[in-house]
Amino acid sequence: MNVTLADIHRSFGKNNAVDGVDLQLGAGVFGLLGPNGAGKTSLLRMLATVLPPSGGEIRLLERDPRRPAARREIRRRLGYLPQNLGYYPSFTVVEFIEYFALLKEMPSAAVPRAVAAAVERVDLGAKAKAKLRTLSGGMLRRVGIAQAIVNDPELLLLDEPTAGLDPEQRVQFRSLMRSLGEGATVVVSTHLVEDVGAACSEVALMSAGKIVFRGTPDELTARGEGHGIGDAPLERGYSAVLSAARS
Amino acid sequence: MSFPNESGRLPSAHDSPGGVDLDRVWTGVAAEVWRRQPGRLERAAARLLRSPGLARALLTTPSLLLPWLISTVVVFGVGALVNLGPGESLVWLIAPAVAAVGIAFAYGPGIDPAWELSSSCAVPDRMVLLTRAVTVFALNAALGLLASVASGAAAALTFGWLLPMTAVCALALAVAVAARSASAGAGAGVAAWVITVLVGQTASGHLTTSVTNAYAYLPYLVAAACCAAIVSYATRPQRGLQ
Repeated sequence: MNVTLADIHRSFGKNNAVDGVDLQLGAGVFGLLGPNGAGKTSLLRMLATVLPPSGGEIRLLERDPRRPAARREIRRRLGYLPQNLGYYPSFTVVEFIEYFALLKEMPSAAVPRAVAAAVERVDLGAKAKAKLRTLSGGMLRRVGIAQAIVNDPELLLLDEPTAGLDPEQRVQFRSLMRSLGEGATVVVSTHLVEDVGAACSEVALMSAGKIVFRGTPDELTARGEGHGIGDAPLERGYSAVLSAARS
Repeated sequence: MSFPNESGRLPSAHDSPGGVDLDRVWTGVAAEVWRRQPGRLERAAARLLRSPGLARALLTTPSLLLPWLISTVVVFGVGALVNLGPGESLVWLIAPAVAAVGIAFAYGPGIDPAWELSSSCAVPDRMVLLTRAVTVFALNAALGLLASVASGAAAALTFGWLLPMTAVCALALAVAVAARSASAGAGAGVAAWVITVLVGQTASGHLTTSVTNAYAYLPYLVAAACCAAIVSYATRPQRGLQ
């Protein structure tokens, strides 16, 4: 198992952002759905080792991230796209991706080819030498995805990866996710139910810091039968599970 | 974005003549075309620090970029030309403030737009902090010493400002890291130094008392140690950032 969470809690003051989450994940694309404030981003940040849990046990890539040496090894094998990707405006696309490849401690000799491959995978070859300040929001999101996959991660964490992408790019990105999920654990946090239906082999729905549903997209769809809210079958399943959790 | 097929490769790779994997060839060509050649300084830093990532992080320090360095040299140059009294250089008073601002803008969430991303990388935050802080301090100290010597100030006091500079830099860094704001750190450092200078002047009538008074050296050291402890606590691994 690449991810093992046992009774994970995270609170900010009196607010329980994540409240007793248990999760075990192997290879595949795992979708994390939920409304704003459900705890998706906090959970993803804990998986990315940037936020410690207030309680519970986390094991990532068979290692304990509380130990510095293990945490460093996890981070070498990790890809992370935060919700708010900060960037250096004066860097070019290639410089930005290369910078994070080096911070992930990839061997220097392997970096140029890995950067080129990542740039090509997100279809930014034509903008490889462009300054980040000149790129659109969708292109910057693709730069963020490229830096996340540059080290061929075993654990890939993507927070709202399709935000800002146009419909064609979103379709292409789902295809990329499926490809990445063949050998790695890909965790995708999103508001967009259709992304989950198209790309994820498994999905969890979070509400008020808890996982209130876990199953396949088809199982989530089945929960929505007879439920009126939502335009698509998967959206109706999403709404039905959330309504049940809140009632 | 590329559409991978069942084997994860691009369709064109299969269609290419002679079984040549054109995508692989193109990636190799692109890698060479787009490759950034590290400068001599970066290569030297990578060898010294034994980490190309750390070297790159060092050379992206805002207060080590060329425009900032030029500004620092100009300020120290002006300081070297102005004497406050016989054998007393303005460099003594400006060095701690200039260095404090440089240190505050060297590291931290307040100045790094990709802070969250950097925090998830293998090169430890604290190594980046340490490397950047030491380099910025050393550079400012070297420039200050050069300016101090060039000003013809009393040789015995050439190093007098180094201790207050250490304390003010430590304060600026502590505030910048704890408040997650480089401006707050720079402001705190400069304000603390101005107050120290004015208090010294009020007590003794001399503007340079804060540098020349040997009794102040121990408090400077204590202040620097306390601020270093705050920095250490604020940057401890696995802290909550929200």
